[in-house]
Amino acid sequence: MKRLSIVASAFVALALAAPARAQGPGSGGDPVKGKVVYERYCLSCHGELGNGAGEFAEWITTKPRDYRQGTFKWRSTPSGSLPTDADLDKTIRDGIYGTFMPTWYAIGEHNRRDVIAYIKTFSARWKTDKPQPSIVIPAEPPYSDASVKRGRAVYEKSNCAQCHGQDALGDGPSAHELKDDWGNPIVPYDLTQGHIKCGDTGSDIYRVFITGLNGTPMPSFTDSISPEEAWDLVHYIQSLSALYPKNYGPAAAK
Amino acid sequence: MRKVLSTALSAALLSVLSAVGSAYEVITVTNGGTVQGVVKLVGQAPTVPPIKTTKNQDYCGNSIDNPLYVVGKDGGLKNVEVFLKGIEKGKANPTATITLLNTHCMFDPRVQGSSTGQQIKIASDDPILHNTHPQNNDTNATIYNIALPFKGFSVTKPLPATPELIRVKCDAHEWMRAWIWEFDHPYYATTDADGHFEIKDVPPGTYTVVAWHEVMGQKDASATVAAGKPVTVDFSFTPKK
Ligand code: HEC
Ligand code: HEC
Repeated sequence: MKRLSIVASAFVALALAAPARAQGPGSGGDPVKGKVVYERYCLSCHGELGNGAGEFAEWITTKPRDYRQGTFKWRSTPSGSLPTDADLDKTIRDGIYGTFMPTWYAIGEHNRRDVIAYIKTFSARWKTDKPQPSIVIPAEPPYSDASVKRGRAVYEKSNCAQCHGQDALGDGPSAHELKDDWGNPIVPYDLTQGHIKCGDTGSDIYRVFITGLNGTPMPSFTDSISPEEAWDLVHYIQSLSALYPKNYGPAAAK
Repeated sequence: MRKVLSTALSAALLSVLSAVGSAYEVITVTNGGTVQGVVKLVGQAPTVPPIKTTKNQDYCGNSIDNPLYVVGKDGGLKNVEVFLKGIEKGKANPTATITLLNTHCMFDPRVQGSSTGQQIKIASDDPILHNTHPQNNDTNATIYNIALPFKGFSVTKPLPATPELIRVKCDAHEWMRAWIWEFDHPYYATTDADGHFEIKDVPPGTYTVVAWHEVMGQKDASATVAAGKPVTVDFSFTPKK
């Protein structure tokens, strides 16, 4: 009976918390408070004007994001779309591996929500445009040698090698002379390194080549790679380094 | 803080105002006039060295003619976009899907016009990977970036919701370039091989006609259109030495 009432009160608590949670991570922040957070933690790189030209920017490659165009690389939304608040929260919470963009897990969800609201004031695009719906990522099938092998075939058929190279070392024929939207040189990722920049799980890798990275040469393959092929391709990429976490089938699913 | 809020407010106001100001109104046009003419290049076209291909030479070849200045009969200049600037009312926008083809390691057509609401079919004839990456010409902002990994592949996408000059690149082959003018109205034409253009069904009135070339820039002229009649507006561009 006591058990029941605890469960019941947990339900009530959940229901009470629901209005705030309905917004989801990163949503509903206050830009006024966000400005304070920004000035404390972000300004030195992303700049007072949000143009990516803070005082450290000179010493950094890849350059800090210029927020004025409303262009963001890591999204669950289709090519060209704005990211969702949850996408921004994930990027800011986890950081961007191998770059100067650190993880901001430590500032907490509230501060992240506010700073996201503030970042949006730098681009008029947030007033006139909305993020498109997130892509649907089907459940991950088990990692297996057969899947890796099929994934290699998808890599070849999709010509990823044009930029990433035959052996995925980031050295394809088009790897040189690439530029991002801000005119800075950019190189295709060396996929054998074992960590991609923004998340290592299967679905993190999946969304990169299905939605593409806005502002960069990395295109969206959503129209040419089916969901089954996409998971095989994820497994192929994960097979390239022992450092990628792998899904060894149902047994490994904790 | 006050400053941030007021800038945000005035930006919002401005965007509302400009949206209202630019609204194109569809009316029935009977017995409209035609704006027509020829765009010419004066003197000799500058010699532009051929494009040196730097990748996929086995398919693309080692060099490709550079199509910056395509001059035809009597100095007629191809690939100039001519349009009625800021026209406020007239016939409805076309709804047909426009096409951008990746072929022989180049885009075809190089220059074309379009209206808001139209879709674009992006296709590839080439057995190599291309990516079609339209950007806003002023801000460089990516509109989208679509991989065309094999021959015969195509996708159809909407054009941006608001009119803009779109510059298209293929990151994989940096020499590839196309231009898509997107308007909120249907009054534009791209010059043909002899420099001719024709803009039909124009409601009578006086308009600013603009001719744009990707290297030589923009020229304006004024034209008064009478019902059912053609009016001729010619342009000439003199290349910088
Ligand atoms: C030490 C420098 C540095 C600091 C401090 C910093 N950033 Fe960044 N940030 C970067 C760099 C560099 C990038 C670009 C990484 C890339 O494109 O590979 C970036 C990119 C981003 C992006 C773009 C992600 C995308 O999908 O395009 C967001 C959002 C962002 N930072 C938010 C923040 C916030 C919020 C703060 C403060 C809480 C912050 N950053 C502090 C360096 C920094
Ligand atoms: C036109 C060139 C091009 C093609 C084709 C291309 N990529 Fe990329 N890719 C890039 C560039 C450039 C980056 C680096 C982006 C950055 O660091 O901001 C990248 C990054 C990546 C990343 C790492 C993303 C991260 O978060 O660090 C993955 C994974 C990836 N590409 C997979 C693929 C796969 C799979 C294919 C084929 C289906 C492919 N790419 C085709 C240019 C390309």
